[in-house]
Amino acid sequence: MADVNNALSPHGGKLVDRVMEPEKGRRKAKEAKIKLPIDGSRATEIMSIAYGFFSPLEGFMGSKDVDSVCKDMRLQSGYIWSIPIVFDISEEEIKEKKIKVGDSILLTYQGQPFAVLELAEIFSYDKALMAEKVYGTKEEKHPGVKRTYACKDKFLGGKVTLINPPKINPPFDKYWYPPKVLRQKIAELGWKKVVAHQTRNVPHTGHEWLMKGAWFAANADAVLVSCVVGEKRAGDYIDEAIVLTHEALRKSGYFREGTHLTSILLWDMRYAGPREAVFHAIVRKNMGCTHHMFGRDHAGVGTYYSPYAAHEIFERIPDLGIGSVLTLEWWYCPVCGEVTYSGLCGHDKEQQAFSGTLIRSIIQDGVKPPRLIFRPEVFDLVIESGDKYGFGSPFVTGEYLSKRNPVITVPQMEV
Amino acid sequence: MAETFPINIWINEERLDKLQCAGLAHLAQEVFAGLKKLPVPTDEQQRDAVLRKFPTAKYDSATTKSIELLPRAVKDKIFDLVVEKKSLNVIDVFLAST
Repeated sequence: MADVNNALSPHGGKLVDRVMEPEKGRRKAKEAKIKLPIDGSRATEIMSIAYGFFSPLEGFMGSKDVDSVCKDMRLQSGYIWSIPIVFDISEEEIKEKKIKVGDSILLTYQGQPFAVLELAEIFSYDKALMAEKVYGTKEEKHPGVKRTYACKDKFLGGKVTLINPPKINPPFDKYWYPPKVLRQKIAELGWKKVVAHQTRNVPHTGHEWLMKGAWFAANADAVLVSCVVGEKRAGDYIDEAIVLTHEALRKSGYFREGTHLTSILLWDMRYAGPREAVFHAIVRKNMGCTHHMFGRDHAGVGTYYSPYAAHEIFERIPDLGIGSVLTLEWWYCPVCGEVTYSGLCGHDKEQQAFSGTLIRSIIQDGVKPPRLIFRPEVFDLVIESGDKYGFGSPFVTGEYLSKRNPVITVPQMEV
Repeated sequence: MAETFPINIWINEERLDKLQCAGLAHLAQEVFAGLKKLPVPTDEQQRDAVLRKFPTAKYDSATTKSIELLPRAVKDKIFDLVVEKKSLNVIDVFLAST
């Protein structure tokens, strides 16, 4: 395997841009002989590839990259990569559509032309091996493993081009910054050091202090909140509440103007713990961040990973060119009378730990959490978001999943 | 003593009134500078039974070691049992009734 410089930014040294002008896209769509509809997860992965979030990936992985990523956490090129990005398909679909290597396949989403896949390889891969290597378990109750096992039996590898860029719908449109745009904005703002905060939660003050602590630790100019918008589970906060409440922290002055920016990343969490932490670091490096904060139980689920597994993995891999800010939790201490850092507060017996789950539980009980652990402006916006976007609830329900406004809409394209 | 895993029932004004009327206000604990909770203990077996019966509930193993996110109606039922029995040890009765 090649000895490469993993510290290059963007990852691999070049920001991938595979977004085509619609007129050119229309021509490309016409050339494709095979049409294949895709689902929302695949569509957002294509966007992440085409806009460069996943640089140096230019398409869906072939068998050698998948094998290398699973076994060695590296692409064939030698660059670190931790999560397989694959396009699964059934044998029947391959036969029915007469798909073969060398084809240009028009991928459609929401009934419209969306992207073109230049098919380089059709292959199989041992899904149990993939699950064990990536997630460290074969247990199907792990959501990432379940997702892997749900893959159809064949995979398509090849470069993709986005030919019909979708519209990002409100309220997400204001927070959509493809890497090229975000890098330009960071430069315009004069930010030299930006620390990323990965989230899929409405912020409580523990999160707020994690961000502020990371800002201090990195001696940063700003915090980039990168909200993961993707597959939801019942009981999660709705995406709209997450994004809007993070911005509310700045609007309400808990972060000074010019030190904080909220953005979205379209991604279905895999809950791969340490491997997902590495993936997050690479993506945020591509977005232009210089540092990434990792707290307790980063991207974990259940008890599959030790609480600080995401900290330990960075000791075993080469420099990724993005600083890791490794932090412990913040708790409420009645002796100190404040939310304080567990690594410094010595009142272990008196401390009162809180979590996103605990805050959700308080809100579900119809109780307003105290301002020391949950900002009143954030609480008000959570309730408002539930009324406006969540069919009366700030938490994901069956109704929200079936009736919510889509995050993206693909424009009509005549071919 | 065996480890217990509380179901935290968060106290709003209505619940506080009921506790006070039943002479049980002392059972509520103050946390986070201004919030009251009623921690109803479960043992390991009871905890697992509760989680099986109510799959949206979550045992927060990482931070608080408590059972959270039980539906509000379920918590209301547990709360009413505490008031009725004047005791926090109501989980067996609760499980038998669901």
